[in-house]
Order: sequence, then structure tokens, then C-alpha cells
Amino acid sequence: MGKWMNKAINPSIVPESLDHIHIEDLARLAEGAVDAVERRHLIGHLNRCQRCYQTLQETLKDVSAETTPKPGPVPWWRTKMIYALAVSIVLALLIGGPFAIKHWTQRPPVILASLDLDQALKNILLEDDALKWEKKERVNRLLTALQQRGLAVKDLNLVLLSKPYYQKKSLFGPKEVLQIRIENKVAYLEVKEMDN
Amino acid sequence: MDPEKILSSSDLLAKIETVCKRRFSAENDQNECYVYVIDSLKADNFKRLRSFKGKSSLNTYLYALINSLVIDFRRKQYGRRRIPAGVARLGKWAETVYRFVCWQKFTFDDAYDFLRIDGLYAGSYIEFIKETEPIRKAPCRENPAFQSIDETRESALENINDAGANPLELMIQKLDREKRIKAIKVIQETTAALSEDDQLLVRLVYGSDQSVRVAAKVIGLPASTAGKRLKSLLTKFRENLLAVGIREP
Repeated sequence: MGKWMNKAINPSIVPESLDHIHIEDLARLAEGAVDAVERRHLIGHLNRCQRCYQTLQETLKDVSAETTPKPGPVPWWRTKMIYALAVSIVLALLIGGPFAIKHWTQRPPVILASLDLDQALKNILLEDDALKWEKKERVNRLLTALQQRGLAVKDLNLVLLSKPYYQKKSLFGPKEVLQIRIENKVAYLEVKEMDN
Repeated sequence: MDPEKILSSSDLLAKIETVCKRRFSAENDQNECYVYVIDSLKADNFKRLRSFKGKSSLNTYLYALINSLVIDFRRKQYGRRRIPAGVARLGKWAETVYRFVCWQKFTFDDAYDFLRIDGLYAGSYIEFIKETEPIRKAPCRENPAFQSIDETRESALENINDAGANPLELMIQKLDREKRIKAIKVIQETTAALSEDDQLLVRLVYGSDQSVRVAAKVIGLPASTAGKRLKSLLTKFRENLLAVGIREP
């Protein structure tokens, strides 16, 4: 309670009565169970007797506190923490969902191309007969050659050749094309002969 | 009604414990209060419990009885306490300051205002600070922070925070010292001039923070009527405050 108002209007200014209200009458007054004449008498006394006033107001507080429904135990699904957790999950899905969907559903782009096997490409293929190119210089040379031929390849880590390539002796042999599939920075190469 | 059965019931014991805990902060006082109330209820062959005639509910009767006994206990406690001789020599005003600060844990600032309101001290605040120096040096078992000159300690802050939705209390808090003392005197005079019903209504709602519904039941009015009456009473308080030049800052 406010200290100033309590000090200002507490019935302590006048000398206290010695003839106090009977406890049961105070209880009846607190319950509103007194008639008008009796109420007037009791209220007149309470305005002059600090002790009876204090007993009444403390009793009113206790009875009110007891009759006011106390909040019972809240089921776990109604706690604020659960709501906060649910909101966090929804927000995370809203914000991160599109990225996650994009990440999981959009496979990295696969480049498929078919290039005429010109001399420059043949030279790269003929450097050795390894099917798995592990020399970075050779991989980079192929990358540059592909880029020069218009393929949108940014980087290559590995090149896998389907079978060793050997130079054809015939000047009029079948036309050769290099079929390329690039996925996850790995180039799969296969040389195919095309009928003229 | 079997008083022995009532006294041994867990419901009554819980009531006594709740009331004592609410009225006393120190655990020792709470325990002494609990024992005092039980002994008093047993006294004279349960005379106090046997006095119940069934005109009110037993629950309200028991709360009223316990609260009455707790008030007796508090008064006996204060009665046992002695004001140090050095304080008593200074006069009634000094004893009052000691009671306010040491026993009731108000600040020296509060005590100065209360003394001015009750007309127990007429000097300035500076004079008060100087004259209360011997009081600050007096021993005080009840309040270890007694000698502190920190005027914003916990108990004072608790009182301020308890203003709640009490418009008169909030207004008084915002005033400077001189205006505050003047305002409280105006509120006292205005209250004293009200009808008996209105006095109790104002005391219960603005002096003790009871709800309007609870106060209305005591006065014998419907809650809505009591609410309207409080509004008009607030207007009266404002008018009387304005008449002496006090308005809400």
C-alpha cells in the first residue's frame, strides 16, 4: 500500500477507542452481512479506531486472497516456453526454408556438351593415357580450352576419361567429337566417332 | 463445533502461518507470532474459538481472530522494546523518529515528512539532519541499516513501488517535500469532512488498497455505485488541492 496515503488517512489521528468491535461482528461486516443501522454504528467506530480498522482491512485482504482463484499448474503444452519454441521453429522455417529447399531440391547444374575434337583438344588428350587426370596443369589446360569454346565452366577439380585416346592415323577417318558431362567440378570425357 | 479439532486442523495452522509471514519479515518474529497466536487460541479453554456464534462464516471469523491476535502480538513486541535513553532525552519527536526508522524501517527522510504532517517538528530539513545525528548513533537491533544515511534503501523503494493504481498516492509521490506535506494535510482535512461511509470507502480503497468491490461490500453499496462515488470523491480531493495551489506536476 502507498505509504503517503496510508499515513494521511489511517484512522490514527484521534485517540483510539477501548471498546472494540467484536470479532464476529467484524467478520460479518467484511462479508457484508449486517443491517443498515448496525453498519452505520460499526463504520463510525472503524473511522476512529485504528486497531479495529487494521483487523478489518487485514481480514479483507486474507479473505480476498483466499477466494481469488490461484493459477493452477499449467500443462506443458500451454507454457510460454512451448509457444516461444513453436514461434522460433516457424520463423526458422520461414527464413531458412527457401534456402534449405533450394539447397536440397536444386541439384548443382550439369553441363552437357559435344565439341568437335580439334587439334588443341587432341593434344590435351594425348598428353598421356591416364584415365584419371590428377595433374592440375593438365586439368587447367582442358578447363581453359573448354572456356575458349564457350562452355560456362568455372572450375574443374578432376577429369575422368572413359577410355584412352589414341591419334587416328587416317587423314580422312571418321569425325571425332568430345562428349563432355561436367558435374560437381568433375568432367567426364568420352571421344566418339561420328559417321560422316 | 469442536475448538480442539479446529485448532489442530491443517487449514487453521496454514492460516496462522500465512498471516504471521505476511506481517513479519524476520523468521524469528514469524515463529514467535505463530506460537503466540496458537497459545492465545488455546487460552481459557479455547474461549476465543468458543465465542463463535455462527453469525458469519467460520473462515472469515478465523481470519479476523488471527489478525486481531497478530495485532496484539505486534503491540506487545513494541511494548517490550525500549527506546534508547539517549534518544528519549531529545524529546517526543526523537522517539517518534526512532520508532519510524528503527522499528518500522522508514527512512529518515520519511520520518521528517511524517513529523511535519503530525506537527511534531517545525524545523527545516537541514536542522532535522543535524538534530537527528544522536539518533543515528543509537543502537537498533531491529534494523541493521539504521545508521545508514542512504535514503533510497530497499524498504523505502518498496513503499514507493506499492503505489499501484492509487491516483492520490501517485500524485503525492511526484510533489516536492513542502508541497507533499501540504497535500497530505489537505487530504487529511478533506477525508475528515466526508460522511462516515465515504471516509471508510476512501480509507479502504486509497489507504489500504482494497478493491472497490470488497470496499463496496463493507459499505453496503453495489460495486458500480461505489466506483462512481469514488470518482466524485477524487474530484473533491483535486478541487481542494487546487484551492491551495497544488496540482499534479
